[in-house]
Amino acid sequence: MKSIVCMKAVPSTNQVRLDPVTHTICRDGRQAVVNPFDASALETAVGIKERLGGQVTVLSMGIPDTERLLRDALSRGADTGILLSDRAFAGADTLATSYSLSLGVKEAGGYQMILCGKMAVDGDTAQIGPELAGVLEIPCVTDVCEILHLTDKEVQVKKGVDGGHQILKVKLPVLLTVEKDICMPRMPSIAGIRFGETGPVAVKGASELAADPMRIGLTGSPTQVIKTFTPKRQSESIPIPGTPGEQASQLAILCKEVSR
Amino acid sequence: MTKVRAFTSEFDEYRKDESRSVGQAESISFPENEEDVCHILKQLYKDKIPITLQGGRTGLAAAAVPGGGHVMNLSKMNQILGLRCNGGRYYIRVQPGVVLSALQKGIESKRLDTAAWTEEEQKVYEAFCQEPEHFFPTDPTETSACLGGMAACNASGARSYYYGAMRSHVTGLRVALSDGSMLCLRRGENFAKGRKMRLTKEEGGEICLELPLYQMPHTKNASGYYVCDDMDAIDLFIGSDGTLGVLTELELELLPLPAVIWGISCFFRKEKDAIAFTKKVRKEIGQAAAIEFFDEGAIEILRRQKARSTAFSSLLDVDAWVDCCIYVELHCESQAEALDTLYRLGEILEAAGGKETETWVARNANDREQQQFFRHAVPESTNMLIDERKKIDSVITKLGADMSVPDEYLDEVVEMYRRSLKEYDLESATWGHIGNNHLHVNILPRDGEDYRKGKELYAIWAKAVTKMGGAVSAEHGVGKLKRAFLEVMYGRKHMIEMARLKRQLDPYFILGRGNLFPSTILEEGEGKEK
Amino acid sequence: MTGLKVDREKCIGCGLCVKACVSHGLSMEKKKAVVNDHCTLCGICVDSCHVGAISLEKESVISDEQWKNSKGIWVFAQQKEGEILPVVYELLGKGRELADGKGCRLTALLGEAKEHGNTEKLIAAGADQVIVCRDSRLAEMDTEIYVKWICRQIQRFAPEIFLFGATGFGRALAPGVAVHMQTGLTADCTALEIDTKTGLLCQTRPAFGGNLMATIVCPNHRPQMATVWAGIMKAREPDPSRTGKVIETFLEEKDISRIQILKNLPAGVSDSITQASVLVVIGRGIGNKKNIPMMKELSELLGGRLGCSRPLVEAGWCEYKYQVGQTGSSVSPRLLLSIGVSGAVQHLAGINGAEKIIAINNDPKAPIFGISHYVVVGDCIEVVKALIRELSDIS
Repeated sequence: MKSIVCMKAVPSTNQVRLDPVTHTICRDGRQAVVNPFDASALETAVGIKERLGGQVTVLSMGIPDTERLLRDALSRGADTGILLSDRAFAGADTLATSYSLSLGVKEAGGYQMILCGKMAVDGDTAQIGPELAGVLEIPCVTDVCEILHLTDKEVQVKKGVDGGHQILKVKLPVLLTVEKDICMPRMPSIAGIRFGETGPVAVKGASELAADPMRIGLTGSPTQVIKTFTPKRQSESIPIPGTPGEQASQLAILCKEVSR
Repeated sequence: MTKVRAFTSEFDEYRKDESRSVGQAESISFPENEEDVCHILKQLYKDKIPITLQGGRTGLAAAAVPGGGHVMNLSKMNQILGLRCNGGRYYIRVQPGVVLSALQKGIESKRLDTAAWTEEEQKVYEAFCQEPEHFFPTDPTETSACLGGMAACNASGARSYYYGAMRSHVTGLRVALSDGSMLCLRRGENFAKGRKMRLTKEEGGEICLELPLYQMPHTKNASGYYVCDDMDAIDLFIGSDGTLGVLTELELELLPLPAVIWGISCFFRKEKDAIAFTKKVRKEIGQAAAIEFFDEGAIEILRRQKARSTAFSSLLDVDAWVDCCIYVELHCESQAEALDTLYRLGEILEAAGGKETETWVARNANDREQQQFFRHAVPESTNMLIDERKKIDSVITKLGADMSVPDEYLDEVVEMYRRSLKEYDLESATWGHIGNNHLHVNILPRDGEDYRKGKELYAIWAKAVTKMGGAVSAEHGVGKLKRAFLEVMYGRKHMIEMARLKRQLDPYFILGRGNLFPSTILEEGEGKEK
Repeated sequence: MTGLKVDREKCIGCGLCVKACVSHGLSMEKKKAVVNDHCTLCGICVDSCHVGAISLEKESVISDEQWKNSKGIWVFAQQKEGEILPVVYELLGKGRELADGKGCRLTALLGEAKEHGNTEKLIAAGADQVIVCRDSRLAEMDTEIYVKWICRQIQRFAPEIFLFGATGFGRALAPGVAVHMQTGLTADCTALEIDTKTGLLCQTRPAFGGNLMATIVCPNHRPQMATVWAGIMKAREPDPSRTGKVIETFLEEKDISRIQILKNLPAGVSDSITQASVLVVIGRGIGNKKNIPMMKELSELLGGRLGCSRPLVEAGWCEYKYQVGQTGSSVSPRLLLSIGVSGAVQHLAGINGAEKIIAINNDPKAPIFGISHYVVVGDCIEVVKALIRELSDIS
């Protein structure tokens, strides 16, 4: 079973905060981490490899530093990594990104399954999975919380839907986007880290992949950001001062009033 | 206006601390600053009312549990007062009620409330914010502890293996004595001559102290007063269990955070291999900031509790063949150094009987958090088990040893623990700072009989550990619960010396009565003198 | 030329852009900002510059003639077992406003297994017309079938704007459509406005972990697509006197799904925090998992339920079904007591519908206070302990 796991490098959660004086964003220099949902996707793929044999390739589009995260994926059970890195890819929205990723998928060779995290914690759009599947013209199942049954021909999964869950069956190849709780990512061992440091990670640029320049990067992005700003605050709040005991007395009265 | 309040049932929870012992008191106060403290001390001094000091009440030795009299709870003195820079090092001034986790968060996120600081200190703060990250290295598992209490019992944590206990990081203290007079102590300014020490009160007047003559063990130690020839005066008050004065302000040294911190959990099939590994790591890996141990008993409880409680459902699974685990934390200057050290650690591991594949290496914040959760789940799940057993027989409480021995006795002390536990047929779980030969051997009584046997065994251990040149309390402090062990360690003569020392600073035995030694110790010992 | 440009004449060397960049893509050289290889063209620096020295330029793409003439605002009318979802009516409310502003038609797209009287409801809610398809293959929420049908209608009718509710299904369906139509999609919009100068739909959504808002446009591709969470827009009062057109459409024989749905497992109703009229929502500020039972007790004393913010789910303290916020559940209780929650934008968006918000946090600058009606700055554990005592005494 050959699977490809798409991973995104995201800022570690605290990285972006607003400078209290200039009201602009300041980074605190922390390194990028793997999107937690993608870490679960990787663990799912490695689990599949352990059960059915095969190979796991991790794929990412990002700056050169992202190689570090692909090597970390190798240390956790992936076999090879492909990094799509080129200034030409920068500024991509989800449509351009999914096209670029599809080039990486082609580069990886044949596959039965593509696994993605359901969404990235910095973007939250959850669009890459369905859009990549659309480019590859394979079916897509989102919000998978459990893989119930898997053979080299088809997969049966449980997924979250509005108001509950659904069990469904799809023939391979398929693209699945997974919930973070689908499994717990393992930590690498010392042996795994040795492999991660020296294992095969290929870095590919736009021309090597024969990318259509009109479909990648900022040029290939139908959407663009025209403004970023801090959310406005509502001004009419009523403070409740005092000791915890005093505050609690007031709160008790308020709560009773409102819940009447 | 008096801040001394009657001890009504509203204050019930202030009758106990984490040791689960319960006391009683007649009055209580929550001073908000040094002035309040002195005012209350002076007021109560008139009638010689005994005072028990409290911070976060997270102590395990009942030092904060009152035996009548007044409770002075310092948790409202929770301000971070200022920052000083000297020679590139930063020193932070705090009130004793500042909670460790709040301090850690404030320093690491560089978000401190400096509104009340002086202009000079605010400038230092601005410079501090531009610096790379800093941290406070004393890391007891219970981060809701107050800094005053941590200083009072000379607390330590996993990282004290490398960085030392609380003592190493206290550079200044303001101490209020039982009569309300103040001492201001700075490290490096006042040294004893031999065993004679001079202290100058801020209001004027000197105190000449005759220090006890015992020799402290050369191990991690939080048992009794710190005394040695030509000692720094500040050290007398650190680890004094709230018996010599009220710490109204502390100055703490901050350290630059290492660029790279990695945690490695190594799993072993045999305890012997884990110990051999510890000794080798101690010798050869200078970058080890902590070396911690969990035994089979501890891991078994984790497995059991994970199966039963959703609180632990996100805990990583430990394979069935695992007997014990050693956790090594590496602090390095660079990724390259860390990687190199990791590989060396792996080689040492294989040589000791472990396997490089049977390790968890946490290199990023997420994994470290997972690993931390795992490590903290060990004492937590044990406490849950004891609470369950307590429901069946209320006399049951956790019996946790806190003893340390010198390096060369590691094998011997472990062998002794194992042999005697088997002999006494007691269930146990052991974990702790194996790097300092300081293991918390927790006996888990199944009934009242087990509890009795356990206490007996602890007394036996206290004697054996003393003989090996170790300490009966390595980090929890003596408080009231370990008084008997302190006596085993030092003998009655030296205990009386300690009490005499206390009398010089606190003539009416007002502060922390019952901590370290019974309050009647001098009457008994000096009956004839009177 | 595409890329990030620094106007060296305007640049004053203040360095704010360097500080703002999350990718280390800018540095100061000889007191001027310089762009390097790490730049990901995200555009965050553009706003940080107070003198307008930075711009993000993009080549304009020649668009298809057909799309130049696209007109009309569409709303996907998702239904469940014959019932139109509330978010659809909210989108029609907004859509009506946008359509009136632009002087164009508002159309609802309805797929259902059979007739349920929904076309009338959609028109009463503001639609000028309903494009409907009734087929048993549309009974299940199967993106494969819906994408095929919807794209065919888009190609036929060339809408300018297309809105979807950000339901679980909507969030999978919209990108499926967007990629097929090779157009832009903005997810989880909290605001939608028409720019009077350009006529473009300005789509505002939280960005960068929720600390910022970003406004996005799709200038050269059609339709401009957006998804919106329930509880953000306002539905209009239904006007049954409204009339509209109904256009019947059909699936083709070859429209077969590659996905086979075996079973539907509805969630238990009792568990849902979205139905609670009183909600206690806890955040990281409660300090320790051990404090959760106390919070549960408080919620019970108030006759309500307990919810939590996302970090607690991520830390494994609570299950996902209790998560409140955009990626969890949007809630609109009469009383929401927020305890130890800092207030990331997605969380705030999820509680916007609450009538009264009382927030307790020891950080006076916590964002949650920005939308709270009552502000309690203090140690949340102490306050809750005292509150439990008060409420227990009263009862």
